[in-house]
Amino acid sequence: MNENENNFESLKRLLAFKKREIPPPGYFNNFSSQVLSRIRAGEAREPVTAAERLFSEAPWLLKFLQVFEAKPAYTGSFALALCLVLVFGIVFAERPDYSASQPLVTTQVADNSTPLVSVSPAVGQIMLAPDNTNPASSLQPVASLFGQQDSLAQQASFTIPSN
Amino acid sequence: MIMAESVERTETESPAPEEESELVRRARKGDLQAYDDLVKRYQERIYATIYHMTSNHEDANDLAQESFIKAFQALKSFKGGSTFYTWIYRIAVNKTINFLKQRKNRTHMSLNDIDFNAEHDTDLIALISDNTPRRAAGLTELQKKLNEALLKLSEPHRLVVVLHDVQGQSHEEIAEVMNCNIGTVRSRLFYARQQMQAELADYLK
Repeated sequence: MNENENNFESLKRLLAFKKREIPPPGYFNNFSSQVLSRIRAGEAREPVTAAERLFSEAPWLLKFLQVFEAKPAYTGSFALALCLVLVFGIVFAERPDYSASQPLVTTQVADNSTPLVSVSPAVGQIMLAPDNTNPASSLQPVASLFGQQDSLAQQASFTIPSN
Repeated sequence: MIMAESVERTETESPAPEEESELVRRARKGDLQAYDDLVKRYQERIYATIYHMTSNHEDANDLAQESFIKAFQALKSFKGGSTFYTWIYRIAVNKTINFLKQRKNRTHMSLNDIDFNAEHDTDLIALISDNTPRRAAGLTELQKKLNEALLKLSEPHRLVVVLHDVQGQSHEEIAEVMNCNIGTVRSRLFYARQQMQAELADYLK
């Protein structure tokens, strides 16, 4: 390390020259009074614009935007990510697997002889049983993801004895 | 007025910790006279650091003022874990680095005058009086080259060189200001010096 220090001795002497750079004469005489004037002016002034109010209440937002301003690569990456999300959203929304391929209730309006609501045979049996008190019979058949419509329908578990 | 002498004078007149903490306590309560005293104690060192980082007097003036204003507004959050000096130094350094990142590749030097006494600096005369291009260049050219070489460094490397080789701060103090360990400070200083040496090879023969 000492050898390195010796190697840099000339550089250090050269850098010491930077101390010789001085601001205009009298510059520091007014410096603190300027700072205090700005502090007083800032205390008297309320945030004017909506943007100023927003940034004063959420400084993280300003930092977020400053990062984008300082590094254009981040801006590009963020925009690219947003585009990808949008494209994936559109693609998946248009896939047939994700649309409702089978309606919950099938309606038929072809002729009067057929019932408007068609139910699976199992459900039909339940509804035709007069003595059934199982509340499951009041449920509409729900189409499952696998196309089985009678998953909620169950046989009556007991019957009320007739007099 | 000589900046080097001013800095030394300020350092020798640094207040006792009690006195500084008393000033901070009063300033936290909104006492602007106490804050005025604090500003006067540190204005030269804060300005000098920012100036050496930016190589621009107007930018250094704005940033130094804004640093003191921000420090006053944030005084309530100052817990006293470090000295007020280190704390305000950190504010100024962060503000300067953010500024430099924003104005990247839009560098404009606005250099201060050179102290008249520099012409009588024997070390400096020895550096520029040999039969090399340095002699013709003179002090103004040397100043320009030095600042250009500094501006070619990345902000963290430049900061380490400025704080250590120009301002004379210790590795420990720099590590505290930059919020990194001493090893990082040393390695940055070594790399920055190497790069500076290559840039200023004509002056270092």
